[in-house]
Amino acid sequence: MGVWKDRKRLGILVALGGGVLLLLWYLAPWAVPHRLFGGEGVLLSPFGHHLPQGTLPPGYGDGWLWGVFYPSLAWLAFTLVLAWTPKPARKLFLMGILGLGLFLLTYLLFQASVAQVNAGAERPILRRYSLGLGSYATLAYSLYLLLLARLFSPGGVAFLVRRRGVVVPLFSLLLASLLGGVIVAVMKRAPGEAQTLREAWMLKLDLITYTYQLLYSPLVNPSGFLQSLLLATPLIFTGLAVALGFRGGLFNIGAPGQLILGAIAAMLVGVYLPGPRWLVLPLAILAAGLAGGLWGALPGWLKARFGAHEVINTIMLNYIAASLFLFLISSNEYKFFGNTLYLPFKYPGYEARSYEIRPEARIPHWTELLAPGGELSFALPLALLLGFLGYFLTRKSLGHRVLLGPLAGVVGYLVGGLLPGPAVNFGPDLTSVRLNGAFLLALLALLFFHFYVFRTVGGYELRAMGLAPKAAEYGGVLAGRKMVLIMFLAGALAGLAATHYVLGGGIDEYRLKQSLPYSVGFDGIAVALMGQNTPLGVGLAAWLFGILLTGGLQVNLQLGISRELVAVLQALIVLFIAAGGFLPRYFTDPLRAAEVELREESRKREEREETP
Amino acid sequence: MNLDAAFWIALFFSTLRQTTPLLLTALGGMFSERSGVVNIALEGIILFGALTAAVVVERVEHTLGPGPHPWLPWLGVLSAMLVGGLVALVHAVVSIKYRADQIISATAINLLALGAPSLVLTYFYGNATNSKEVVNRLPLWGSEGFALSPLVYLAFLLVPLSWWVLFKTPFGLRLRAVGEHPEAADTLGINVYRMRYIGVVLSGVLAGLAGAYLAIGFLNQFVRGMSAGMGFISLAAMIFGKWHPLGILFSTLLFGFASALAIQLQGTEILPAVLVQAFPYVVTVLVLAGFMGKSRPPAAVGRPYEK
Repeated sequence: MGVWKDRKRLGILVALGGGVLLLLWYLAPWAVPHRLFGGEGVLLSPFGHHLPQGTLPPGYGDGWLWGVFYPSLAWLAFTLVLAWTPKPARKLFLMGILGLGLFLLTYLLFQASVAQVNAGAERPILRRYSLGLGSYATLAYSLYLLLLARLFSPGGVAFLVRRRGVVVPLFSLLLASLLGGVIVAVMKRAPGEAQTLREAWMLKLDLITYTYQLLYSPLVNPSGFLQSLLLATPLIFTGLAVALGFRGGLFNIGAPGQLILGAIAAMLVGVYLPGPRWLVLPLAILAAGLAGGLWGALPGWLKARFGAHEVINTIMLNYIAASLFLFLISSNEYKFFGNTLYLPFKYPGYEARSYEIRPEARIPHWTELLAPGGELSFALPLALLLGFLGYFLTRKSLGHRVLLGPLAGVVGYLVGGLLPGPAVNFGPDLTSVRLNGAFLLALLALLFFHFYVFRTVGGYELRAMGLAPKAAEYGGVLAGRKMVLIMFLAGALAGLAATHYVLGGGIDEYRLKQSLPYSVGFDGIAVALMGQNTPLGVGLAAWLFGILLTGGLQVNLQLGISRELVAVLQALIVLFIAAGGFLPRYFTDPLRAAEVELREESRKREEREETP
Repeated sequence: MNLDAAFWIALFFSTLRQTTPLLLTALGGMFSERSGVVNIALEGIILFGALTAAVVVERVEHTLGPGPHPWLPWLGVLSAMLVGGLVALVHAVVSIKYRADQIISATAINLLALGAPSLVLTYFYGNATNSKEVVNRLPLWGSEGFALSPLVYLAFLLVPLSWWVLFKTPFGLRLRAVGEHPEAADTLGINVYRMRYIGVVLSGVLAGLAGAYLAIGFLNQFVRGMSAGMGFISLAAMIFGKWHPLGILFSTLLFGFASALAIQLQGTEILPAVLVQAFPYVVTVLVLAGFMGKSRPPAAVGRPYEK
């Protein structure tokens, strides 16, 4: 791309970014040393503070702010000038690194200023403190400089284009977040009184920043962290269920229905099948997968046999499954043409719920797995670690690795079990999080997806079906049968999500309840797209949405903004990814991407020859 | 329980009422697919239309007082159509200009329609599930006891009208050409993109109209998820009706009848209500499976066009 080598273009881009940075420095608070519960904060800015109580908090000094502000100004001026000097890319790269250092300095000085007031006090005097958008803008501009520096050095565009699987989702996330910020600003009056227009801006921008800080707060708080893993568990399953369909050229919007059927089957086995734990628990899990799989295979078969479009059929089957679900657990007496039918499933009482799952069929809580009997056990962490290492790090043939992985896992489990563990007490905050063994099942499902789709002949055929159905059929794939199989596996993955809710007691009880949040099946679409239908991507995307959903609760609690903000963000992300993040065509079209990469490669070679 | 005449009359009128939103949406879907764009966002657009109609009417009542304003429900209908068209425009831009997968882009809008209403409702009413009830609903036209909302008549009038537009006007010919063979249409000087934009936006306007009917004609408020799959059922009806207004009329009547039967059977001891509610969905699956063989979609449907 000749234009990208253009220095003028680089200068303009840097100037634009610098302008935005300067504007944010002026309009947004740099730091918030203290925040009231309603969200109004003590907003510090070199251009004038916003102080809810008229003065700075007693004992707090804002001198550090000037120590950051003047170097920042000088740094910004430097970047703007350097962009117009010869060979700017390397200089801008250095300036980007410098900016990161500047941000780190800001962070440290701010933390020190707060710690100095809080030190020695019984309860922290300054609470809910954090840096403000102004400081984060410094960070963002530094990253922007690093990006530009890479983009304008040889092979820069190809560098990004090759990573388009990461670039497009992240860019879409960024766009959706920006739009989400506008939505928050419109929907919510900022707390606090503003004297000037700049102060009003400061309050609004701080509100948006605080909303996002709360949304991502589970990253830095232990119980929120566990909660985010809890919410990620079903999303991993449903995300994989949708992703598998996409890989095979089918759009599975039926995950909610498949999840419901899985939940019903898990309940039936878990409540009514007597027997020991080693038999009943695996059977209950299997039943969930099987029921979901069959419910998924139905639209697959309808498509293969009658050409009925799977999108509408899976949606219809969602509604039918929901009816069936309510039929089973909302009442025990039904009238059919004057006759009465009696069902045994509903637990007596007002609420629509089943009987309790027998203790033998329950998936253990995370504390039981990590610290059985109150003593920390290294068995499971070590097993996981060695298992993954054994599979991914051995340089052997696939067969060896498949054997080595589980073997290493078993060794890890045994060795870890022998190691003595200290007694631990996690405290009520952490133990009340209902994260359970279904999370491990979800990790296994990710592994299964990776193995089946990318390492087996069946998975190869599946991907061939998705990329070029006609060619795949010509190559010997039995398209109809494959379609049913894909939908069966996708349905089974969605059905397994139910193990988390029913067998693992993921909501609040070990039962099948009317509150079963089966709409996570739809969230699976966003997860699959965000994760670009790869197992690692799906895992990370599910976790991201788990974080946002957990944080959404805090946003609702502290700011009174509906939790559905997260649902809107998800929808926007899907929309933007569908549009390729509005990025140039060579990011979305594989052929054009290859073209760019080739062209950049040859240019790089030319330049190398010119400068011996 | 005996099924007397009153039951059948009630069933008949209920069928007409149930058919109306399906018919409006299915005709919209027809215009969109005839132009070559699949629009499963209609489900979400119905919700956006319903939300707009309910909130606009309620807000005006809030400022002007409840007193009967005969023009007010029509304002609600118009704004619902406008918003429906705008939401459809988003789908159109993303799937026509940015060549997105039409099903994914539409699914995004459906997901948006699950979340966004809650934000709006929380903003205005402080609860996330339903709007305040409105006083100024759409009027009922007809003699006492047999009166129907004007939108019911409009929906059935739209059947011959859209037949005429689609098959007897140059516009309709162009629309169909663009959906069948965009390259050929382009060669003849037809603006493919413009025709597709028109088709998609028209479908949004009609689905918004269906939403307004649900919110201020059928009920008197917006309830979360009130479309209950009507948009998808309409698309199934459109496929079953072979992308033809007359076929769509009969297929939506079938679905409307199934829904009406479900409603009429509720509270009786003939069949349990929870199962009967699933009736239209089961019919949809059966219809798609059983009668798909002979219906042929527009040749270029679902395929982004590139000049």
